[in-house]
Amino acid sequence: MKTARETFNPASYALSHLKNNPFRSVTMVLILSVTIAFLLLVGSIYIGITMEVGGSKESNLWNAPGSIDMFEEFQIDEGLPEEVQNTMLNWLFFTSFLIMMVAIFIIYNTMAIAVEERKKEIGILRAVGFSSREVMRVFLIEGAFIGILSWIVALFFGTPLIVNLAAYLIKEGQKGLFFVQPRIPVELAIVSLLGSIALCTVSTYLACTGTVNKAAVDLLRVE
Amino acid sequence: MSEGPFIDAVNLRKSYKVGGNRVKALDGFSISLDEGEMCALMGPSGSGKTTLLNIIGGLDSADSGTVMVGNIDVGKLNERQRALFRKKNVGFIFQFFNLIPSLTAMENVLVPQMFESGRSGGRAEELLERVGLRDRMDHLPRMLSGGERQRVAIARSLINDPKIILADEPTGNIDSETAKAIVSLFKELNDEGKTMILATHDRLVAGRARTMVRIRDGRVQRGKRPPGQGTIHLKSGGE
Repeated sequence: MKTARETFNPASYALSHLKNNPFRSVTMVLILSVTIAFLLLVGSIYIGITMEVGGSKESNLWNAPGSIDMFEEFQIDEGLPEEVQNTMLNWLFFTSFLIMMVAIFIIYNTMAIAVEERKKEIGILRAVGFSSREVMRVFLIEGAFIGILSWIVALFFGTPLIVNLAAYLIKEGQKGLFFVQPRIPVELAIVSLLGSIALCTVSTYLACTGTVNKAAVDLLRVE
Repeated sequence: MSEGPFIDAVNLRKSYKVGGNRVKALDGFSISLDEGEMCALMGPSGSGKTTLLNIIGGLDSADSGTVMVGNIDVGKLNERQRALFRKKNVGFIFQFFNLIPSLTAMENVLVPQMFESGRSGGRAEELLERVGLRDRMDHLPRMLSGGERQRVAIARSLINDPKIILADEPTGNIDSETAKAIVSLFKELNDEGKTMILATHDRLVAGRARTMVRIRDGRVQRGKRPPGQGTIHLKSGGE
């Protein structure tokens, strides 16, 4: 006897659907995890850049516990000049924004196709007594699962990427360019997890809202 | 409990737009049923059977007319109230079973209860046992035959112990042997006090119902018991 059958809930519903559509789930997770890995890198660069500029450690914008004092660790005497720093940050934010938009768009599309295929299923859920809000909740949970999974994969991608990039820059002695924070501080990890879930649930919501709110009889009529 | 009939639909009208035309699915249909009645709705496809079931079950709303179930005016409920009404009072059974393909038989039966925390699968197991699928609980719908799928759907419709079972061509897609078993099951459920409306072409199904209504072009054509003027009042004889 499986214990799963004793605790059937929206989460197990979402999981069994993801499991039964492995290709789609893996595609979404991969796309999102690359995005999150990139955002982690941007975050680490942001921390690296803003860390010690202008002098004292107290002025850090992001004084994460996982951060290290790069100036001490790698004997860097000065941070980036402010104009360079600002330009870099602007570009980083702009790129992150673009990449996030692309991710939202891709997930939105994938979800929209998935929802189109699942119209009948939505109709069934409505027929057995769920309001459109409850059906939406099931879909959002599914989206959140993808967000969490992608975040986990992103940490696997992102951490080595960041550490290796930092190591490379150290080896090359490019101290002036040294701005990659060679660790992922806890705060950054948490922010990226929340971001990943938000990104997924928002695109899921946008993709599903039209269909979920359709009349149940129309949904049931779909072949 | 209110005094009058359990299900009281009066002068229902419903039309759909198909292409450029308006098609009348129900054209002044009325029916009253007592609690515990088993009614067969017969009529050609497109005669309005499914529409009627959907309106009584709160899945669809009529353009005009009223539906009272117990003392609930179904037409006056909002979307969320209607969902709750369906969950608590109505079990739907469809011709094409309408199971969720990615879930096992057991999970399909449990779907209507997934938001209720702390419910055990005990009742679902009992129901699957009752429909003879105890050893098929962990099978996905695609691994089950038509008859087995319909039995899973019946178990699902019973999970919340509804007062009303609405079945739309329940034997339309299964072989006659299985259909017989399913009809006996319906009879059993009816004997336990469920009010049942079965839309069907199948004489076997209709033959077991105490009340029969023929519907044509969205209107009552005739009933097994003589209708009153305009409205058909089909009271069961009482045992």
